[in-house]
Amino acid sequence: MKARAMTMNRRHWLKLAGLMGATAGAGTIGNLLLPGAPARAADYKALVCIFLYGGNDGLNTVVPTDATRYGQYSAVRKTLALPQASLVGLGSSGYGLHPSLAALAPVWAEGRLAPVFNVGPLFQPTTKAQFRAAPESSDLVPDNLFSHSDQQVLWESGSTDALTRTGWGGRAAQALATANPVISVGGNGRFGLSALSAPLVLPEPGATFGAYELGTDSWRTSYAPLVARAAALRGIYSEAQDNDLAEVYAGMQRDAFAMSDRLAALIKVKPGQAGSVAAIDNAFAPLIANGDVADGLPRQLYQIAKLIAGNATVQGNRQIFFAQLGGFDTHANQIGGSVLVGNHANLLKEVGDSLACFHNAMKAMALADAVTAFTQSDFGRTFTPNNSSGTDHAWGNQHLVVGGAVKGGLTYGTYPTLALGGPDDVGVDSWELQGRWIPTSSVDQYAATLLSWFGATDAQLDTVLPNLRNFGSARTLGFL
Amino acid sequence: MGISASRYTAGNGDAIHKNTSNTFFCDLPAYAGANCWRDWFSSQPMTWDFYRNATQNADQLRQRVAFALQQIVVVNNLDVEGTYGLRNYHNTLLDNAFTNYRQVLKKVTLSPVMGDFLNNANNDKAAPNENYARELLQLFSIGTCELNADGSLKGGTCSPTYNNETVRNYAYAMTGWTYPAGGTTAYGCWPTGANCQYYGGDMVPVTRYHDTSVRPLLGGVSKPANSTPATALELVLDSVMQHPNTAPFIGKQLIQHLVSSNPSPAYVQRVAAAFIAGSYSAEGRTFGAGTRGDLAATVAAVLLDAEARGDTPARRAGKLREPTLMFTGVLRALNGRSDGEALAWWWGEVLRQHVFRPPSVFNFYPPDYPVPGSATMVGPQFGIHNANSALERLNFLTYLLYWGGSTAEAGVPGAFGTTVNTVPFEADAADAAKLVDRLSVLATGAALPSTTRTRIITAVEAFNASSSSTWQSERVKQAAYLVFATPAFQVQR
Repeated sequence: MKARAMTMNRRHWLKLAGLMGATAGAGTIGNLLLPGAPARAADYKALVCIFLYGGNDGLNTVVPTDATRYGQYSAVRKTLALPQASLVGLGSSGYGLHPSLAALAPVWAEGRLAPVFNVGPLFQPTTKAQFRAAPESSDLVPDNLFSHSDQQVLWESGSTDALTRTGWGGRAAQALATANPVISVGGNGRFGLSALSAPLVLPEPGATFGAYELGTDSWRTSYAPLVARAAALRGIYSEAQDNDLAEVYAGMQRDAFAMSDRLAALIKVKPGQAGSVAAIDNAFAPLIANGDVADGLPRQLYQIAKLIAGNATVQGNRQIFFAQLGGFDTHANQIGGSVLVGNHANLLKEVGDSLACFHNAMKAMALADAVTAFTQSDFGRTFTPNNSSGTDHAWGNQHLVVGGAVKGGLTYGTYPTLALGGPDDVGVDSWELQGRWIPTSSVDQYAATLLSWFGATDAQLDTVLPNLRNFGSARTLGFL
Repeated sequence: MGISASRYTAGNGDAIHKNTSNTFFCDLPAYAGANCWRDWFSSQPMTWDFYRNATQNADQLRQRVAFALQQIVVVNNLDVEGTYGLRNYHNTLLDNAFTNYRQVLKKVTLSPVMGDFLNNANNDKAAPNENYARELLQLFSIGTCELNADGSLKGGTCSPTYNNETVRNYAYAMTGWTYPAGGTTAYGCWPTGANCQYYGGDMVPVTRYHDTSVRPLLGGVSKPANSTPATALELVLDSVMQHPNTAPFIGKQLIQHLVSSNPSPAYVQRVAAAFIAGSYSAEGRTFGAGTRGDLAATVAAVLLDAEARGDTPARRAGKLREPTLMFTGVLRALNGRSDGEALAWWWGEVLRQHVFRPPSVFNFYPPDYPVPGSATMVGPQFGIHNANSALERLNFLTYLLYWGGSTAEAGVPGAFGTTVNTVPFEADAADAAKLVDRLSVLATGAALPSTTRTRIITAVEAFNASSSSTWQSERVKQAAYLVFATPAFQVQR
């Protein structure tokens, strides 16, 4: 069963690789990226998941600005509280962004940014009373709350079962039969795993996505011993293996060769080089120095922008991408010398600046309406700081959605009630009053909103997101 | 071989934590220079020791067990800077590779490097930081789900081993530890009563920050009121060591690091039994001192088990060689060695296993990463294996065989680069089959499957006296490149 699934998947990709060779000519950058409007289906759509590893402090990402709630916030957050005057105001919404997200202010003004409040893994709508009454083994209690690895799995898999093997991105790609698996420029996260395949993990601009011994330089292809080397190399992975892991290894190697043959030239292009897209380079200009995009999320989102522009090569009218940024586990030293600087401020600046550049690149290519970027993260962080200028692991969290299709200028979901021991706090007893919010919107509803826009039918949503049916008619959150 | 031969020595000392001026250490005239950060703050000198030991030292089992422990009780150089502290931490793992897991946990808990990494240094009862307490339970001892003695999930599902109240109780119990004495700064140290940041030795109690309440721990153990930090720590360690999860949870991970990604439950149970008994007997020898948690007994049970041996491993047996062990496996088989320099910031980064710099306490990869396309198997090392790394593994072979590896780099003490020596194999170059078989045995312990073997022999024979004046050496490289590229080598069984 397994071997067959792998084979089917591989065959699917190889067919595409063959088509490329036949129609566009493989390998030369000139015919991979056409000038002007890139060739793609009229209904092309892409989702871009940006995972903030470690658990982003959503309470310092989007802050209420009305006097009452800002007062509740500053009274508990104390030295971690952002000054009210420093917040990037979101119109009349009653909320402001962390000042490091200032680059997103124009995106909000355009109506292309939507904050979504208090989202987290939920089996079904859950009140505090229900949660408190539920035994730990109950479905109402998502597995291993507050644990990084498990909550990453729940967010990435769209599940409340930490043993789930596949991601909701991977399952959606499979259900919608996208041409490619989830394409990741940020590692092997479970988000892109499906029952059939691993995410397609691609390196950064400038990298060689290929095996040197399979190179196509004429000195290689005209010398018999080197031709024999390449033939043997491809040959040894085509053979059945006597071991299950070796079988998987060989299959991944074959897939890697096929994808390298197709994508290597496109992947290698750096800003300003032949084959680069001026609209993307210009939009990312604030983050480009000496021909390189800034390391981290900027470089990943630049690569995704290129892959979207290069759809004629990458193929498929639906594509799910994955990028990531780590370092959000701010147990200590969340802030620096002042609350406006330090680790969390730096991380959010990287998120805000790169997201804004990415959105501008999509606009410049007239693709903004077709591309939606969204954040995910392990969990929110405790409302109450700990003794080391940091915050600990919590549950419900604020997230950001950016794109031309976003119904922006509004906020979505319900901001947690900022009361320790209040209706959203899991805690009752004095030892547990750190403000860990029970989510009021679920990961499934969040994902369903994105996937519904992406083109998934209700039946497909129920397949991809098994808990969605527990939310009755409230299947989506309305931000798209 | 004694421990002393493999203890890490590269890199500089503790002066970074004795800077009494207001100038940043690397801006002080005595220390300024291009390599200040590298030699005083980073883990780069440790990669020199790591790969020199791994490719040249005789005590390979100690190196491998310490490397496994390093990937269970993880710290990293992303969050902790101080070469001498990181070096102390790893030397502790080398020292204790065959002592007792309780001792490992005790030294790890008291390490100021871990204290900084997971915020237990200067943790204060007033609002305790939960970081170390949570990961001690989740990653270093019992895990999140209740396990049977054979490592399988109780009831086939995840029944939680603890809740957040438990985590807070452990956090409270482990409050009241500060750095060892020895650090100094120009501006004093805080909080009141705590020592300055310093990594020379174990953390010491600072009673004023230690919780004074009764805190129930796991397994019926309870931290009494008015405990000392030291007595509370012993109770913490007792509670996790006697927890029924610890033996299969740690035992299975040692199997996964040393032998096989998907051990049978019976194999896990045998290893867990050795962990609990502290003793393991095989082939007329007994390993271990008889105390629960004995690592000599546990490692012997991992390596001497029937499932780890035998000439006909099951289809599910084995593991993908992680990048580090792929590097060292090729080097050792081909008379090679590495001073580590090229395998850190270059190949370590390319293949996402830059030793001493895992992204977080969750290591380079999770122990339960699902093998793509499989319904049941896990492959921890597949967590960093993908289309890009598949290609780069081959390019590492190109680097060693066709680019000549790396020469000694100026500024690296005692450098000799990263090289293999294929000349000794040229004696067999005229007989391609003999050459390929010789390399295959070095790579995989056996001849390759016949069709693979035939393919490689054909490719090797493509070099001959008429195609190349150096056909003997070309044949050896052609053979080595293809043999070490095979799934049979890359997946060890």
